[in-house]
Amino acid sequence: MAEGDLSRPSLADDLFFVIHHNVTGRARLHPRLASLGLAGAVIGELMLAERVTLDLVPGQDRLYVITEDATGDPLTQNVLDHVVAEPHHPIVTWLHFFARTVYDDVVARMIAKNLLNPPARHLLKLQPAAPVDANTAAWPLARLNLAIERRKPPAIRDCVLYGLVVATGGAPRALREHDAAFATATTALLPVPLQRLIVQTEVVVGEAVISRR
Amino acid sequence: MSLTEQRPSAVSSALAKDRLGVPSVVFFVISAAAPLMVVAGSVPTAYQVTGVIGVPFAFLMLGAIFALFAVGYVTMARHVVNAGAFYAYAAQGLGRTQGVATAWVALLAYNALQLGLYGIIGSATEPLLLDWFGAAPPWWVIALVAWAVTGLLGLLRVDVNGKILSVLLVSEIAVVLVFDIGDLLHPAPGGVSFEGFNPGSLFVSGVGAALATVVAGFAGIESSVVFAEESRDRNRTVPLATYLGIAIIAILYSISAWAQTVPTGPDGIVKAVSEQQTELIFNQAAAHMGSAVSTIGSVLFVTSSMACMIAFHNTTARYIFALGRENVLPSVFGRTSARTAAPKAGSVLQTALGLIVIFVYAIFDLDPVTKLFFTFGAFGGLGLLTLLTVTSISVIVFFARNPSGETVWRTRIAPALAALALCTMIGMTLINFDTVLDVEPDAPIRWILPGIYVVAIILGVVWGSVLKATRPEVYANIGLGAQAVGGGAR
Repeated sequence: MAEGDLSRPSLADDLFFVIHHNVTGRARLHPRLASLGLAGAVIGELMLAERVTLDLVPGQDRLYVITEDATGDPLTQNVLDHVVAEPHHPIVTWLHFFARTVYDDVVARMIAKNLLNPPARHLLKLQPAAPVDANTAAWPLARLNLAIERRKPPAIRDCVLYGLVVATGGAPRALREHDAAFATATTALLPVPLQRLIVQTEVVVGEAVISRR
Repeated sequence: MSLTEQRPSAVSSALAKDRLGVPSVVFFVISAAAPLMVVAGSVPTAYQVTGVIGVPFAFLMLGAIFALFAVGYVTMARHVVNAGAFYAYAAQGLGRTQGVATAWVALLAYNALQLGLYGIIGSATEPLLLDWFGAAPPWWVIALVAWAVTGLLGLLRVDVNGKILSVLLVSEIAVVLVFDIGDLLHPAPGGVSFEGFNPGSLFVSGVGAALATVVAGFAGIESSVVFAEESRDRNRTVPLATYLGIAIIAILYSISAWAQTVPTGPDGIVKAVSEQQTELIFNQAAAHMGSAVSTIGSVLFVTSSMACMIAFHNTTARYIFALGRENVLPSVFGRTSARTAAPKAGSVLQTALGLIVIFVYAIFDLDPVTKLFFTFGAFGGLGLLTLLTVTSISVIVFFARNPSGETVWRTRIAPALAALALCTMIGMTLINFDTVLDVEPDAPIRWILPGIYVVAIILGVVWGSVLKATRPEVYANIGLGAQAVGGGAR
């Protein structure tokens, strides 16, 4: 799995790029939805790296730790440590829990990996963290757009990325063309645990929309 | 399992910090009920249109019925997902087809309650504008401004912020109480009469019309269970907040409705409201305590109506969103505005309906208070009564099928008594619907409006059956709301 390679953008980094402008770094998505999506992406990274999977207990999807091997990355390691310490929580609880902090954590990790510039204070207004290289930042979205245009499902990791972009409600705004049927078909290609991760992300996003706060 | 659960969980305690306590939930619940809007808008209009002086007793009686209803309601909320929506109860208690029918009724009722508010905002604002600028535009211009603000805030997903809401709510209640005291200190020459609390003064001809309006004053109370997932202790916070909310509303409204009749005497109230409409209580306050207090009250009347409008707009938009997520409505309604996290399509639909209603009433020059605010309010109230009845029956059926160790009082007796009382009220409302509409007893419109609900129920049952036959995967998820996409699994 490519997830072992720390210098390259990971799934959460890709999602961050897709839901932000590739030059200015301006958000395309409401912070609450973005955070829930990124929480899903970080858990997705651990699934792709085969550290955790979903235990499909009827009526409740739980995270299940496959191996406690170090991930070599502080952010995913922190997430893994939490799950190891309290394995009994359902996936939606984890999504809510990690969503509280994941946005800042992902930004910090991307700054450390030199994918983003640190946010600058400009005329007293804090500017968003802008990508270091606009082409790198545009690449994940371009891959998705290309796959959609050709109606050819992308690689597994990009299928997860696509699913998460749709789940957060960012698809109509970020993608050049949004084809709900193709999105569903693409997600259906994934292993069941990853499918459920995307579905549960969509559930918490829907609940966030309905919630009055 | 039990070992790990006993340890204090870092995850649970971190998430608990975000959760709501009893006071917050009570605030959310009562603010949707907008005290000043009801006391200055609904109550005088109820006196005027129905001529019934037993309105104070009606609030107490309805408070008791709502409390009875809430017993089963909050009990079932512990056992179902998507607990905030009435149709979820029907779907999980009576069956999914009945759930769809209930959803249609809910959509109509909430829509009516929200749209009716466009009729009151004009008369709430007019006296202030006249006072400040010496002139005021026609009601529909003000309504259009309110409409634009509501539509915009709905799309931007600006729920009136919790803190602002609390400040407004506390000031509203304070103003209502000050007005009440002023009224009580200036009784009519005949002395203070408690006629309004006499059940005999409620059960006269027109009682059903009065009840339907008074019910609308309680709308919003059912939203307490929405916070089950977000409250600190769903077994304690939500029931406590619900009962507290009902008690506060019933007592505050009852006393205020009665206080309004004290300066005029029970015999004079109907005549006084007919002349002064919604300005009555502000004129009373100005006479008793000076114009400053009255002006503060008028300003809060406007903000209260706005807050109520926004609350109902968002409630309805979320309802539409949840139904879109279930694919019971076209899935376009399940879309979100990515930038603002608002239930976009539902919000836009709601806004479009508002525009149509305002235009129709402006073009046909219909009275906004009695014909829009009151008629829509009573129509919505009738729908709300239907929803409450269906929900009570659903509670009984649900627990008969899923024994859960809850007491018989909670699962059978209280819901049965509530259903009985609610059915009686629906009957009385229907008998008096000509009074509500201010038409002749044999005018067809009095049957057409309640008939809309019947049509909605029939169409809902048909649509539910169609879904069952053609799209079983959609049918299976009816009533799950946002969780429909996950098949209800957590």
